[in-house]
Amino acid sequence: MKTFGKLFTFLVYLFLYAPLLVMIIFSFNEAASTSVFTGFSLHWYGELLNKRQIGEALQNTLILASLSSITATLIGTLAALGIYHMKKKAVVKAYMTVTNIPMMNPDIITGVSLMLLFVFVGKTLGMQDSLGFGTLLIAHITFNIPYVILNVLPKLRQTDPHLLEAALDLGCTPVKAFIKVVLPAISSGIVSGLIMAFTLSLDDFVISYYTTGSDFQTLPTLIYSITKKPVKPYIYALFSIIFFVILLMLVLMNVMQAKSDRKNARKNS
Amino acid sequence: MEKNNKLIELKNIVVEFDGERVIDDMSLYIGDGEFVTLLGCSGCGKTTTLRVIAGFIQPQSGEVFFDSKNINGVPPYKRSVNTIFQRYALFPNYNVYDNIAFGLRVNKVPEKEIEQRVSEMLKLVNLQGFEKRSITKLSGGQQQRVAIARAVINRPKVLLLDEPLAALDLKLRKDMQKELKNIQRQLGITFIYVTHDQEEALSMSDTVVVMHEGKIQQIGKPVDIYNEPKNAFVADFIGESNIIDGVMEDDFKVKLDGKSFECLDKGFAKGEPVDVVIRPEDVDIVPAGQGMLRGVIKSVTFRGVHFEILIDVQDFMWMIQTTDEYKEGQEVDLKIDPDAIHIMKKSKYSGQFGDYSTYSDEMDALSEITEEDEE
Repeated sequence: MKTFGKLFTFLVYLFLYAPLLVMIIFSFNEAASTSVFTGFSLHWYGELLNKRQIGEALQNTLILASLSSITATLIGTLAALGIYHMKKKAVVKAYMTVTNIPMMNPDIITGVSLMLLFVFVGKTLGMQDSLGFGTLLIAHITFNIPYVILNVLPKLRQTDPHLLEAALDLGCTPVKAFIKVVLPAISSGIVSGLIMAFTLSLDDFVISYYTTGSDFQTLPTLIYSITKKPVKPYIYALFSIIFFVILLMLVLMNVMQAKSDRKNARKNS
Repeated sequence: MEKNNKLIELKNIVVEFDGERVIDDMSLYIGDGEFVTLLGCSGCGKTTTLRVIAGFIQPQSGEVFFDSKNINGVPPYKRSVNTIFQRYALFPNYNVYDNIAFGLRVNKVPEKEIEQRVSEMLKLVNLQGFEKRSITKLSGGQQQRVAIARAVINRPKVLLLDEPLAALDLKLRKDMQKELKNIQRQLGITFIYVTHDQEEALSMSDTVVVMHEGKIQQIGKPVDIYNEPKNAFVADFIGESNIIDGVMEDDFKVKLDGKSFECLDKGFAKGEPVDVVIRPEDVDIVPAGQGMLRGVIKSVTFRGVHFEILIDVQDFMWMIQTTDEYKEGQEVDLKIDPDAIHIMKKSKYSGQFGDYSTYSDEMDALSEITEEDEE
């Protein structure tokens, strides 16, 4: 039974990581072949650096992800505060349902409908081509907001409702009381909302594909257009780099988590 | 200590939540340096009254005066009162020192002075050496002390305390009662204290305000409230009471259970129906034939200091507390002295309380520690 368990685990990991492994290996291949490994070389990595297009798309993606996640975090946090302070349960439920729809809705429907809206508004305003960075940013903010709300709202509900009153009681104005007392209490929710929004924006292809114009490419949309032609191994090099960056981030996050856990444990004792 | 007789005055306060009246035309004044307790069970409006004074709730009508100035529209952060919340509401992102210093920092007091005043406070509440401690690492009693220090350091004229000891266990609660009383005496601050615990109210306060259904039932010194309750609700809520229907035959003479008793009360109309209050500890049990009322012992419960004995007299269940032990089923007489009898006018609470036939249910309802959730 034990060996069977081990075998099963091995198979699971094999299926998960074999494709990645193959891709990483062939990114170091000397030849352009994906079936024969002719020898180790950094040739494709060099070629990747020469592709200005990819560097540009990476930059675009990071700018878009930063702007959209920060804006969504601001709007989402305010929205969570608004929902938290609503008195009537039925109204809260209605708002939460509306909030959840963009998350449940298939991306393609969100993407196409946003595109139709942008084109319609653009045409009405007499614009030649309304799709571009602006519309892409609006689209990303839109699908990020619900995730921020879902991260902040539970934190608000966990905090003692009397904290704000206690700060008011001690002489703070409402705004000051919020900044000094409530904000620190919900900050972890805000940060996790921000990170989630950032990664979702980074990762999005479907909605971006429909809502961006020809002059603004993100990494996912660019890769899609490149892979429509015969795939060149420098793409493997790009994927390998992305994979290692993500791996590094995960390791770092785990190490930091472990460190802060140890710190807390020491404080507790 | 009473410099100004009306430091806080409430005039005809009405508070409604969703059309439900929580405070019903309440008027009250509180003197400077006084320890006033608002006493009542859950939902009686005592916490709401406190929140009206703190400024967290605006009354639908009525006026709040502080030092003879109307403060109706004044927001909480501009009132010179401080509150100790039921579950302390300490700031988890600050340590003990920063929690206590919070109010002074908001008011831009120089750090040097803050340092000195915080250390004074830590001494007052017996928490020296805890400055750097995280709030989450404190016990309930220690958190309570931090909450007191955080409020008192601002030198408020009035300290509002919302069931501050409700979350502590019995022994700690008794200690904290003493400490709170000491702090109040030392600092001379007016305390407005909210509790559902009648023992706490009686032992700590200068004045007790008994509330029920958003109305004040009685205001008075603890001894007066206990000895001369105004109506059946107060008599029943404060301590144990046998409340029997009676008729005044004349001044100093009341008839109950078909027998005439001498009493110390006068000023009622002849033949006026009244409520007669007799405290369980004021009744003597004597052998059958030697007392005024004949009854049968229905139950005997040992309570430590005394026995609690229920006696059925003409279908009315009396409670009597005595240090002597009796047996169930025994036939005995009750002996009641004139000074044990207190006469009250009939009120809307007459007939609702004071018969121990339904004793156990009543105890449950009163001893229930429920959080007041009036918002």
